[in-house]
Amino acid sequence: MLYREAGQFKSTYAADMAIFPIRQDRMALWLLLAVAFLGVPLLAHFRIWPLGSDYFLRAILIPFLILSLATVGLNILMGYCGQISLGSGAFMAIGAYSTYKFATGVHLPLAWFGTAISIDPLPVLPSILLGGVMSAVVGILFGIPSLRIKGLYLAVATLAAQFFFDWVFIRVKWFTNYTPSGSVAAPEITIFGYVFHTPIERYLLCLAFVAVFAVISKNLVRGNLGRQWMAIRDMDIAAELMGIRPLYAKLTAFAISSFIVGIAGALFAFVYLGAWEPLAFNIDRSFQLLFMVIIGGLGSILGSFLGAAFILILPILLDQGPHALGIPVTVETVSLMVLVVTGALICYLLVVEPLGFARLWSVAKEKLRLWPYPY
Amino acid sequence: MKADVETRPVSASAAAKARGDVLLSVDNVSLSFGGVRALRDVSFDIRKGEIRAIIGPNGAGKTSMLNVINGFYHPQGGIITFKGKRRHDMRPYLAASQGIARTFQNVALFRGMSTLDNIMTGRTLKMRRGILAQAIYWGASQREEIRHRKAVEHIIDFLEIKHIRKTPVGKLPYGLQKRVELGRALATEPELLLLDEPMAGMNLEEKQDMSRFILTVRDTFDTTIALIEHDMGVVMDLSDRIVVLDYGRKIADGTPGEVQRNQAVIDAYLGIPH
Repeated sequence: MLYREAGQFKSTYAADMAIFPIRQDRMALWLLLAVAFLGVPLLAHFRIWPLGSDYFLRAILIPFLILSLATVGLNILMGYCGQISLGSGAFMAIGAYSTYKFATGVHLPLAWFGTAISIDPLPVLPSILLGGVMSAVVGILFGIPSLRIKGLYLAVATLAAQFFFDWVFIRVKWFTNYTPSGSVAAPEITIFGYVFHTPIERYLLCLAFVAVFAVISKNLVRGNLGRQWMAIRDMDIAAELMGIRPLYAKLTAFAISSFIVGIAGALFAFVYLGAWEPLAFNIDRSFQLLFMVIIGGLGSILGSFLGAAFILILPILLDQGPHALGIPVTVETVSLMVLVVTGALICYLLVVEPLGFARLWSVAKEKLRLWPYPY
Repeated sequence: MKADVETRPVSASAAAKARGDVLLSVDNVSLSFGGVRALRDVSFDIRKGEIRAIIGPNGAGKTSMLNVINGFYHPQGGIITFKGKRRHDMRPYLAASQGIARTFQNVALFRGMSTLDNIMTGRTLKMRRGILAQAIYWGASQREEIRHRKAVEHIIDFLEIKHIRKTPVGKLPYGLQKRVELGRALATEPELLLLDEPMAGMNLEEKQDMSRFILTVRDTFDTTIALIEHDMGVVMDLSDRIVVLDYGRKIADGTPGEVQRNQAVIDAYLGIPH
């Protein structure tokens, strides 16, 4: 009854083309933003349930936000442009290590030319953005095969990126500043002289990044470029006839997707992990992001968030659940049960709704518009 | 508008239009796939403002001809001249940027997108804002989107598909999908519109609607049309001139009346006694 768009007339195309044309959706969005930007920090600050300890922020909300961002990035490539990628973990790693190198200073001796490239340590914010740029450049490079190969074959080509960069960051000591163990520690996060130290501050930093890039992604996918991507995804022959150049559409998708994934990787390393080794961005990470995109819904920005929440938070809930309810089971049983239940739920969801949470959400909204009448 | 278009004697304007300049000419074009010779030395021209039909039995090479014109296939021999310029190394997106649009025999819409978005893709070549402006959206990019939305709404109005503006095209019935596809081609504001069986699989009423749209497109959008169609009634009524292909060869070329009386055409369609 509350969710009615009756009486909401659009008199301009601008209003009709808004991201949220329905008033109730806009109100819900503002409420969500208020909770995220004000509610959560306030609760955490005064240590009110469920944010009584740092755990919730540090182990759930921060990784959720960062992985959502990576999922949005991957969704642009997979969901909107239809190019399957199994290399998103590698692009996160490129973002993370590039940011690390820029933030600690780049010194590249070029002995053959008798010179060296030296860049002094940059502040963190430009380092993160440059990390994204590096990731985008590599993304374009590994996107070039997509002009020739499609579908699963392309997935295998991107898998090559994953293994190649896993190897590079383990073997090429230059990237890890020659630390003996191969693991690196991020420098302190200072932006415009302000040090992001407490979990609340770090959470807000991630939230700001996610909000900005979610808006940018949404703007891109609803505009001309987004239509070009979707046209290539749905029918590349007809798209070419509309004057869309496959080269441009596919490579922009690879570039923008890798840029966002790279930034997510930098945040994951700097804000969430703090110190990390190449294993943090291995093939498992790529698959995790892939599942988030598929479960959330291909071709939906909102779905990216829902998918990330499901894949990340469900295991944590299942892990904590028995303990919180006082059921006497061993830790081992719980961790096995988590795998079983999560796997079963994924199968169930994909059978019931192959198009993911985003589709469930829009079906629910359709139903809600008519509720309590059946049609 | 409907009555006006349908009562207008088609042949009256045909004579006038047929005197227009040559928009596209095809000279001795040959195309083969391995041993299959899809087109053999085909020559014809399309004049500005006319409706030119390409007909022939199945496998005659009609669709191959369209594919050559918009750059999907590269003929092994022959010359194609468009707007007075000889073409080399054609690609579909180059053909689109030169003003050639096309619909497909089997509807080739972007199934995951709404009617509106499908037609908006037709405006791609006319949109100039860069990635950064689009990422920011508000301001220049939004103004551009609205400007093109207005043009698209004009086409939606014309094709009478206002009610399905926001419907994903995958959910639309076949007849409407064909109409949306025509709209998408029109959105590019083409000089030459290639229609590959625009009336295949339609009922009488849908065919009448589509015929009306095609005639109005020619007259009001100032577009030259080349169409492939199997419904001879439609072809004879709509087109100014007809070229007939059979086994990759041109066997006849002329006005509907001439083609109807041509013995080679009758033989190709009905067969000859052995």
